[in-house]
Amino acid sequence: MSESVELKTEEQEPEIDISIADAVIDKYINISGNLMPVLQGIQDEYGYIPRVVADHIAERLNVYPSQIYGVLTFYAQFHLKPRGRFIIRVCVGTACHVQGAPRIVETFFDKLGIGHAETTPDLRYTFEKVACLGACGMAPLAMVNDSTYGSMTVQKVDDIVADYNQRPLK
Amino acid sequence: MVNLTIDNRQVTAPKTATIYEAAEMNGIKIPILCHDKKLKPFGACRMCLVEVEQMKGRQIPACTTPVTEGMIIHTATPDIIKARKMVLELLLLNHPIDCPVCDKGGDCDLQNLTYDYQVNGNRFTDEKFHHQIDYNNPLIERDMNRCILCGKCARICDEIVSFGALTFIDRGIETKIGCEFDGALNCEFCGSCVSVCPVGSLLARPFKFKARFWSLTKQKTVCGYCGTGCNLTLGVKDNKVLTTIYDQEQGFHKGQLCVRGRFGYQFINSEKRLTKPMLRKNGTLVAVGWDEALDFVVGKLKGGNVAALSTARLTNEEFVLFKKVMELSGSKDFDHSAGYAHSALTEGFARSFGTTASPATIPDIQKSNFLLVIKSDAYETHPVAGFEINMAVKNKGVVLNILSDKHGKLGKLPGAKTLLHVPGSEIALVNALSKVILDGKKAAGIASSVVGYSQLEQSLSDCSVEAVAATCGVSVNDIIELANDYSAAEKALIVFPVGLAYPGHNAELASAIANLAILAGKIGSEGSGVLCMSEKNNSQGAVDMGFYPSQDGKNAQQILDGCASGTVKTLFIAGENPVVSYPDRTKTAAALDKVDCLIVSELFLSETAAMADVVLPACSFAEKEGTFTAADRRVQHIKPAIRKIGLSRSDFEIFGVLISRLGGEVPVSSATVFSEIASNTSGYAGMSYAALGESGAFAPVDIKPAFVDVKAPGQTRQAGKLALLTGSSLYHCGTMSQYGEGPMHVCPEGYLEISRKDAANNKISENDLLTVTSASGSVQLKARITPRMSEGVVFTPYHFSSASVNQAWNGTEVTWVTLNK
Repeated sequence: MSESVELKTEEQEPEIDISIADAVIDKYINISGNLMPVLQGIQDEYGYIPRVVADHIAERLNVYPSQIYGVLTFYAQFHLKPRGRFIIRVCVGTACHVQGAPRIVETFFDKLGIGHAETTPDLRYTFEKVACLGACGMAPLAMVNDSTYGSMTVQKVDDIVADYNQRPLK
Repeated sequence: MVNLTIDNRQVTAPKTATIYEAAEMNGIKIPILCHDKKLKPFGACRMCLVEVEQMKGRQIPACTTPVTEGMIIHTATPDIIKARKMVLELLLLNHPIDCPVCDKGGDCDLQNLTYDYQVNGNRFTDEKFHHQIDYNNPLIERDMNRCILCGKCARICDEIVSFGALTFIDRGIETKIGCEFDGALNCEFCGSCVSVCPVGSLLARPFKFKARFWSLTKQKTVCGYCGTGCNLTLGVKDNKVLTTIYDQEQGFHKGQLCVRGRFGYQFINSEKRLTKPMLRKNGTLVAVGWDEALDFVVGKLKGGNVAALSTARLTNEEFVLFKKVMELSGSKDFDHSAGYAHSALTEGFARSFGTTASPATIPDIQKSNFLLVIKSDAYETHPVAGFEINMAVKNKGVVLNILSDKHGKLGKLPGAKTLLHVPGSEIALVNALSKVILDGKKAAGIASSVVGYSQLEQSLSDCSVEAVAATCGVSVNDIIELANDYSAAEKALIVFPVGLAYPGHNAELASAIANLAILAGKIGSEGSGVLCMSEKNNSQGAVDMGFYPSQDGKNAQQILDGCASGTVKTLFIAGENPVVSYPDRTKTAAALDKVDCLIVSELFLSETAAMADVVLPACSFAEKEGTFTAADRRVQHIKPAIRKIGLSRSDFEIFGVLISRLGGEVPVSSATVFSEIASNTSGYAGMSYAALGESGAFAPVDIKPAFVDVKAPGQTRQAGKLALLTGSSLYHCGTMSQYGEGPMHVCPEGYLEISRKDAANNKISENDLLTVTSASGSVQLKARITPRMSEGVVFTPYHFSSASVNQAWNGTEVTWVTLNK
């Protein structure tokens, strides 16, 4: 299931500075096939694609808004809701699964109070189950942003959450 | 042409054909779900799988595979049948089997194919979808649970309508057709998606649970709204028009319709239709018999000082009879469409081309290389012609340039350039284009031998492109570039709409455009020319039949003045609603109030009919026979789909009785009147109902070009005021569409489009009720803030009886107004 599905309820988005998006659009405006780099660039800036920005891209690039939404929901790389400062990804691929990944996942759910592809209200954490992170030798495996945590245990989940709870949000 | 063998038959097909097309051309049926001949091949559904001997062992889709020389194709081998059965099984896996309550039943491609292939069980099991059904708009229901993902709706919305409301969203098994952010459908509601949906995913809500498809009588006719002349199939049951039916074989537009044509038919069987003649007695209109009403009318017509105004919606045959009624009443004072809406043809083209018709046709749009559209509104006034422009630009790479006072949808087409100018400066700009061509010595060789060439040179000698650019608010380079591109194009076509709400698109503009086209040599060949888009379904016919005043007759405005001054004693209005649609409501209503006797034949008790002394209930286009002539002089035969409503009579019958009572020769039938038309109308020679058939025929246009000296009017800018432009809304045509439920659901009232900047400056929010005040009056309209308008310019459509724009608009192209909350 693509993650857009649970994002349908419209929430009040925080004030969005469109000029950041404009800067990205300006960079690619004269290139054909610019929708993907524009969306990627804009997601890098905002962390996700806010709806007002999607509509703005549609107007500036003269692309149907529906088409932008089609692209956004096709690719797993795009996010339509604000994401946490720390993206926790736990592998549930075959190797990790047999090494106990389901318990790791459950523990994160309990600790963070969120489920798969959800974000904590304080925007500190986003949690995702992923199919394979390509390091089966370290199973069960978790990642927080770019840091890798191998041979995960329930105790290590506590440690990781305690550690990242201390880190600044900005 | 290539030779190939399909199912052991030797056939030939064009090189560009696909296997599916080659088979179809030769009468061999290959089943399809995702293919539509109007759309690009897609190959999604796999129903059209065939075997080609040269590609042994593979099953290939017929709809996307081009034919090659010597191909040997089998369309119905046991393996192919088996594969198609499985395709159907897989589709039926998720498709709910709710056919008994599905409105598509009987007209459903999936149902029909399931029947044809006898898929009476399913080897697979899976859950059905549980998508929410979109009931958010009154016209189109979207039930994505029934969807088979053929993508036709998304493709037609992109390729032809160019709106792009629908697309594939999500991925894999979750894929569905949806709108942006998976919200409700909010589009033009043309219903193109409904027409091509092979299942019951997209349904016309006004038709829901009205009748089963097979119980409908299907009557082919011609749409009664705008001048595009789209062909239409009406679905009739129990003397009621219940729906319009898609037929991809119909007309140049291949069954494509707009919101009015598809969803605006309800006026035909409206409860508000007049069913009995009415006569004013002691100040109130009371129902009377036809004899009494007609006695009264004949008495008045015999009394002299008669004048007539007509709508441009009557048939050609009715115009001929109406003229005879006027002749027998001793009057030369008759006109239609407020007198000015036809002046581009009757005066402009008459002077410039020596004929009162456009030297180009709508099909020329797709055959051109270069389109110059004057005012973006051509899309709103003639949406299906707008689709032709969309397809020309998107599929054929036709270059599109727009000269307009506001942005429009056409401007979003790929590569389209909009030259946004100050309102009211079209003529100056078109003259400047001619000037650039003259100065650059780019005039066509034959131009110098055309009558009036030296006068044109003389007249344009004092035209300064720089000065025009400055006053029109466009850049000199843009003008020069446009002129050069236009003259350099191999085939170039100029399109401009005319109509009641476009007083600036008059004889002068028509002649200025004609000058430009003649100068650049863009006349007389396929894909080139000038296309004047007349507003109503038979505007061109009204002109061709000569239902406008000759030199010694009064025009519409003079007739109304005559009513006010007492020189016109009896005014016969057929179908027109001047109180709402003519400029200056107060003045028009006062004139109609003043005239001794007002005779109105109408479908509805319109604002004008309500003032009448006698009201004659007339018939709609769906109840009569005759011919309509579209804007490009395509003469088409209309046939009755239902019996007449109540005691109503067609205008043909009404005029026929009046002619006999006034001592004239009684017409036998509309067919005989049409043969009379064919014998004495230029271009109509040789036409007859039988010859017109279903597709109609073009009345050829004989052009005798001449240059006409046209001076641009001066600017009328008023400081501190906004320029109010009038025009047509996409959802309406004239005032009749107010009785079509579809258009009224989507666009129920007038509005004022205003730029974001003006809205911010005046602290106006969306839907604020604004009082728009001009020198001639004021009207209250709701604000609609759009990126379409530029600062200082506001726009309003003219169709609506409630808060009619003519309260503040007196017929000038640009009205200067102030806004108050």
